[in-house]
Amino acid sequence: MKLVLIKTTINSRQYDLEVCPNMTLLDLLRDELGLTGTKRGCEVGECGACTVLLNGQAVNSCLVLAPQIHGQEILTIEGLAEGEKLHPLQESFLDHDAVHCGFCTPGMLMSAKELIDHSPNSSEQEIRTAISGNLCRCSGYQQIVDAIHETKDVRSET
Amino acid sequence: MKPFEYYSPQSVTEACTLLAQLGPGAKILAGGTDVLIELRKSTDETAGPVIDISRITSLKGVEESGNTIVIKPLTTHTEILRSALIGTHAPLLKTAAAGIGSPQIRNRGTIGGNIMNAAACADTVPPLIALGARIKLQSSGGERVVALSDFFAKPYVTVAQRGEILVEIRFPKLPPDARSSFIKLGRRNALSISRLSVAAILTRDRSGVITEARIVPGAALPKWHRVADAENLLIGHKPTRELYVEAGKRVSEVMISFTGRRWSTEYKEPVIAVLVRRALEGCR
Repeated sequence: MKLVLIKTTINSRQYDLEVCPNMTLLDLLRDELGLTGTKRGCEVGECGACTVLLNGQAVNSCLVLAPQIHGQEILTIEGLAEGEKLHPLQESFLDHDAVHCGFCTPGMLMSAKELIDHSPNSSEQEIRTAISGNLCRCSGYQQIVDAIHETKDVRSET
Repeated sequence: MKPFEYYSPQSVTEACTLLAQLGPGAKILAGGTDVLIELRKSTDETAGPVIDISRITSLKGVEESGNTIVIKPLTTHTEILRSALIGTHAPLLKTAAAGIGSPQIRNRGTIGGNIMNAAACADTVPPLIALGARIKLQSSGGERVVALSDFFAKPYVTVAQRGEILVEIRFPKLPPDARSSFIKLGRRNALSISRLSVAAILTRDRSGVITEARIVPGAALPKWHRVADAENLLIGHKPTRELYVEAGKRVSEVMISFTGRRWSTEYKEPVIAVLVRRALEGCR
């Protein structure tokens, strides 16, 4: 099986990689690059635990083939905070008790980020739609919705 | 996932040539929301080869050409639901796209993939058939145009021949006095496969009399098509709830005439009738 050469930017860092085509973006992030913040849940696109931003759009990384990220930009949960400084979404999740076991949290934050980058003042319904591809078994979602709704000082990042 | 050879053609011609060379095992990859699941399930020695067409820029976009809307197959469901052209000239397609999967699925899944995968629950198909869509297929041997209503043999099987790639979908804009709706019934609000759906388009004249009706149920018939029997009940009449109820019952009867009484009929028989009524009422 021929390896594929790709260039990609992940969390603002450039990578030159040789990837097996039969690897998903999720496998690449976790197993090759050690970025284990993105979680492996159902691996069929039905839980959202593996959600990352691809060119600013939330996608299930379990359904993206590694070669497909050539020339694209990825943002994972590891890229959300700036060093020690948490993203306003992360602050709000903590303030609103939106993190229970934490497994759904990275995916939830990435879906939320796409939403607030485009629509900083979303309604509750818009928020629920934005996270409709992210399952949470712990919280009942209300704290997550409130956290997103109440996120302050949002700066749109590229 | 089993190993496979991976190709990333930059043009339709290149993709068609590859498809012709690589034989029947080759899989076309676009958004990947169905194909990656298939690749992972494969128990053969190799899961592919895989021809990734997602970089072919000529296969992207939504345009208008006079009175026609032209959708290229790599258009994602997110792009469909955000398209001003579709929102104006085919709003039922926007509604259908907005209900597919989840935001993550919509950001990757393509309308071309939805058609070519041909699942019985594919949500873009009933609206496209109601809109009278025609699709263009291209191979290294040439191209041909097929009415979408003639494109499906049975669930998951299209009449596309080996070596053909879907390159274009086109349909006439809905006239300004047409009203449309799409209703999806699923087990959940999101990440939900359609159990039943209905695409409907109604046109009324100045006095409110229905002059044109199009009804296409989804996940109901062995092959998608308009239900002329029910449509004809409506033409020449003013809308009333009773009329819509009758049309709904007729769709249900037609459905059973095609499927026979199956395990799901006890549920689908009354429910499709109600969904048709609601879809017709939604054409406001």
